[in-house]
Amino acid sequence: MMAGILHTIVFHRALGLVRPKDVDLELFEITYVQCGDVELEKKIDEKIEQFVSWVEKHPNKKSQICVSFYEVKSKQPSWFTNKTERLYWEQWYLNLNVTQQPKPHSGKSHHSKVVLDPGESASEYRSSRRAALEASLREVLFQIIKFVNEKKDHVPPISEGVLYFPYEITIPSFPRTLCFSSSFGA
Amino acid sequence: MASSHGNTHTEAAKLEQIITEFFYKSLLIILESRSPYVSSRNYSGEQLLSSPSSSSSSSSSVRPRDKWFNLALRECPSALENIDLCRQSSFEPLVVDVILEQKPLDWEPATFSPKRDLVRNLLSKDKNSFFWNSDQEESGSETKSEKIIERWFVQHESRKGRDCNSGSRRSSSNTLCALYKKLILLLRSLYVTVRLLPAYKIFRDLNSSGQIRTLKLVPRVSSLVDSLTRKEEAEMQRFWFTPVETSCGRLCLSVLYRSSISDISSESSTPMSPQFIPDYVGSPLADPLRRFPSLPVSHSSPSSLPFSRRHSWSYDQYKASPPLVSFSPSPTHSESHALVTNPISRRLPPMPLPPEVAIAHKKNTNFDEYCPSPNFSGSPSPSPSPPIHIPGSHLSKALLRCESAPVNIPAPRLANSPALSSKQNVPPSPPLKITKAGTSQTVSNMGAVQAGATIEKLFSFGKEDCRKYSGSGVKVSSNSSQQISFSRSSSRSLQDEFDDSEFPCPFDVEDDDVTDPGSRPESYDRRGHLCDPHEAGFFMTRKSQDAAVGALVRMLKKAPPLRQDSSSSMNFSEASRPETWSNSVQDQNKISEAVTVEHAASSSIASSKFIASKTTADALEELRGYKEIKNLLLSEGSKSFTSANYASGAGYSSKGI
Repeated sequence: MMAGILHTIVFHRALGLVRPKDVDLELFEITYVQCGDVELEKKIDEKIEQFVSWVEKHPNKKSQICVSFYEVKSKQPSWFTNKTERLYWEQWYLNLNVTQQPKPHSGKSHHSKVVLDPGESASEYRSSRRAALEASLREVLFQIIKFVNEKKDHVPPISEGVLYFPYEITIPSFPRTLCFSSSFGA
Repeated sequence: MASSHGNTHTEAAKLEQIITEFFYKSLLIILESRSPYVSSRNYSGEQLLSSPSSSSSSSSSVRPRDKWFNLALRECPSALENIDLCRQSSFEPLVVDVILEQKPLDWEPATFSPKRDLVRNLLSKDKNSFFWNSDQEESGSETKSEKIIERWFVQHESRKGRDCNSGSRRSSSNTLCALYKKLILLLRSLYVTVRLLPAYKIFRDLNSSGQIRTLKLVPRVSSLVDSLTRKEEAEMQRFWFTPVETSCGRLCLSVLYRSSISDISSESSTPMSPQFIPDYVGSPLADPLRRFPSLPVSHSSPSSLPFSRRHSWSYDQYKASPPLVSFSPSPTHSESHALVTNPISRRLPPMPLPPEVAIAHKKNTNFDEYCPSPNFSGSPSPSPSPPIHIPGSHLSKALLRCESAPVNIPAPRLANSPALSSKQNVPPSPPLKITKAGTSQTVSNMGAVQAGATIEKLFSFGKEDCRKYSGSGVKVSSNSSQQISFSRSSSRSLQDEFDDSEFPCPFDVEDDDVTDPGSRPESYDRRGHLCDPHEAGFFMTRKSQDAAVGALVRMLKKAPPLRQDSSSSMNFSEASRPETWSNSVQDQNKISEAVTVEHAASSSIASSKFIASKTTADALEELRGYKEIKNLLLSEGSKSFTSANYASGAGYSSKGI
């Protein structure tokens, strides 16, 4: 699920020449699209793994993932710093509530906010949760599309040879927030 | 002024080109995700394998058209056919209807062709309309139902009172760049959306599945379409993409789609009705060595029919004579016929019996198949009379059962097993070793049974039995014995049994381990002699049923005892064999005894083996059936001999359990 959401967001912001790659989710009847950039996919997968490990250590805890797109503005070097400034022009906040299955045979964590009838059998419970998850995921993806369509003016101009805008994926961390950023991808 | 006018004209031309390409790209995105057999799925994956992921290097392999809007897609023939429409639709809407066609079940798969989705063009120059539809009529189906599940609208709404060619002063490269960027975003959203809509699932299922389906997606592109009925629109939802402003209007993209097409698509999951395919995979011609699963095939009766029909001689016989299976070891199997029949039919896999049997016969390694199927859930309990009138189908059924049984076929033990009460899982071959008195008679009598090729198969199974039978000189004409042996076989495939190298070739005259020490050494030669011709002609021809049954009986008689049931059964079989052979009388009345004896022997022999392959419950169940059959047969046959056999067989059966 995380991969689907993240890749969908990034796909909309990878405005360079891409060859889209369809990815079918195993759990749901949903196909999301990747940019087809191996490096980008690798970075996102790493980020997802970090997030999953965090979730496993903090079960049943709400979390938020932030996907930020920024522009690198070179700041006039001063006495102390000669750094570039990041100008965030878009940020996506993904609020997640990962719940752990109470039953021992199900060790999966689900991104769901659905409260299910406790009287359901195990299989029905799983299937209903899965259906709810699929519906919520589909809704999230449609929301992304809507957001992308509603605002287009703020997107910076596309640079030649640049595949995607620099972005940053922020996930909650153990003591502190780990930031993973990527500069210009080419 | 001239330069500015020229610039304006240039920018207007660029704008028009951008709009045209946008039309084409949107059409391509829609069609390539709705047209069967054309898809950009994993298109990038294929390209990336050959080129690095960097855009600069990948651009070298990108067609010029792919660079438009930075979205490289695979070419779609249907989109290419409509490219003219795209050019002409700069000021006219482009409507793409995605139609779900349902063909009747009598649709001929042979006539199916992807070309149906490529439509004949009906170009109306007056209206610049381009209408194409699939030529379903060629399929031969008279009736088909069409349902519009999606309707895409791509149009450029011009601002009234504005002419793009006149050029706006605002038209600048920056504007064009911004427009281009927005269109890139719009097309990205379109690309993701087409894969989120319900119709994409149907498209993916139709493309991925190799089954012949009754449903088909047919995109239809046109400029002018009939508006949907109110009812249709009520059933559909609309999704609007945010329009992109241009200098002389705005580009709009929207879709009407059915959110609930699962009820329609569920029908597509039903494949075509099963049809008889002569050259199916697994047919004797295709793969005679194929193994068959040992799982019950209760549901596969229709599908197995084609297979069975191919060898209707065997399969029909199975169906014709339920009691066959019951002839496995126990002589007391009375009502187990019906029970056995069901498992037989259930477990009857779509297997080409003759070739497999032939192969098994050739290998002559595994006597297990020879054993009647103790695996039959129903205890094989032949009625009193059936043993005599065992039709060949019984034998065939037993043969089918044989394939599943990891039968161990020590003939002597089997013969000695009046342990008819022994598990039905006992290998069948021993039971055919009618070591009891009168078994030879029954064997010979069994020649009357119509087992036919099944008997031949039994020959392949029972190495020692074959020897014995040949040695005894008894004609393998008894179907009953064959039936018995087959009925004991488990549900494993014949091939499995044949492949089991644990058991020597039945025609291996040097193998004395499984045979009784004192057992007819002379019979070896005779058996071999007898078996050879059988073996030779086994796969080639189908002997008469009587001969086959007789051969089977002989083989079963001389089948070596099970390893576990070594001494007692062998001794008993030894003792009974001479008696048996001496009494080689073509007596129909003795068939029942022989059957029961064989059942007992085979059950005892196979019990040890079948323990592994079958559950104790199944064995006990079969044993009960055998017991019932035995009781019935006992009433008809010689009481003294039968009772003795029964006693020994009971001992073996209990031992085996």
